[in-house]
Amino acid sequence: MNLLLEVAIKNGALFDAIGVIGLGLFGVAAVRLSKRYQSWGGTMMAAGAIALIVARLFFILAPHFVNFNFLAAIGPVGNFVIELLPPLLLTFGLAGIVWGLWGHERWLSEESR
Amino acid sequence: MSFGNIPPLGSIAAVRPVYLIVMGVFLMVIAWRLAKTTEGWTARLLVAGALLLGFGYTILIPMYEAGRIEPFSRTGHYHGSPATALAWHAVKLVIMNSGWLLFGFGLALHAKIFTSPTPRRNPALPPAATHEFIT
Repeated sequence: MNLLLEVAIKNGALFDAIGVIGLGLFGVAAVRLSKRYQSWGGTMMAAGAIALIVARLFFILAPHFVNFNFLAAIGPVGNFVIELLPPLLLTFGLAGIVWGLWGHERWLSEESR
Repeated sequence: MSFGNIPPLGSIAAVRPVYLIVMGVFLMVIAWRLAKTTEGWTARLLVAGALLLGFGYTILIPMYEAGRIEPFSRTGHYHGSPATALAWHAVKLVIMNSGWLLFGFGLALHAKIFTSPTPRRNPALPPAATHEFIT
């Protein structure tokens, strides 16, 4: 296998960490925006970033602890939740980030007018 | 009459790629407009991150959802070419994660979270009236 490809695949955790760090920076920046400048878009972005981080952490960690015993232990309702919640969080997290970014951009343009 | 494997219109499987494409395009457009109000590395990082994420969300992930690209499998069983699946997986890993890193860093610079707080000064003197009659 190509060395570069091998590094990218085998060190998947490295890239996952980069993504989570980026999302964390995004969330901190969004909180700072909403706190310092009273921009409502910042709050929305922070909520979206938190949802994305939670879903991403679940997808990263799930292969390590979700097995047959675990699924049997949490029962059908937990099974349902674990199957439905992460994609839902991803969807609404992305929507929150885009909506918040739009709100912040509009707020900035109104401010400078 | 059957249309093969096309999911019915309005189902989640059919709507999700469209949703992702719309969100990706919106993300790029808004980041571009946001970057116009800033300058220097903030704008560059914001636009670079948004372009990477836009590529990921408008092309890569809808292709995965539509089944055009085979997802990475831990067991190593693939229907198509394993090399293609691995290469796309690497592309996805790099693009989505570095996209979020660059975009987050750009927004962090935009929010000025790395600058030290400005030192406290005495309040500025009230500006002199511009239209002052000299008598």
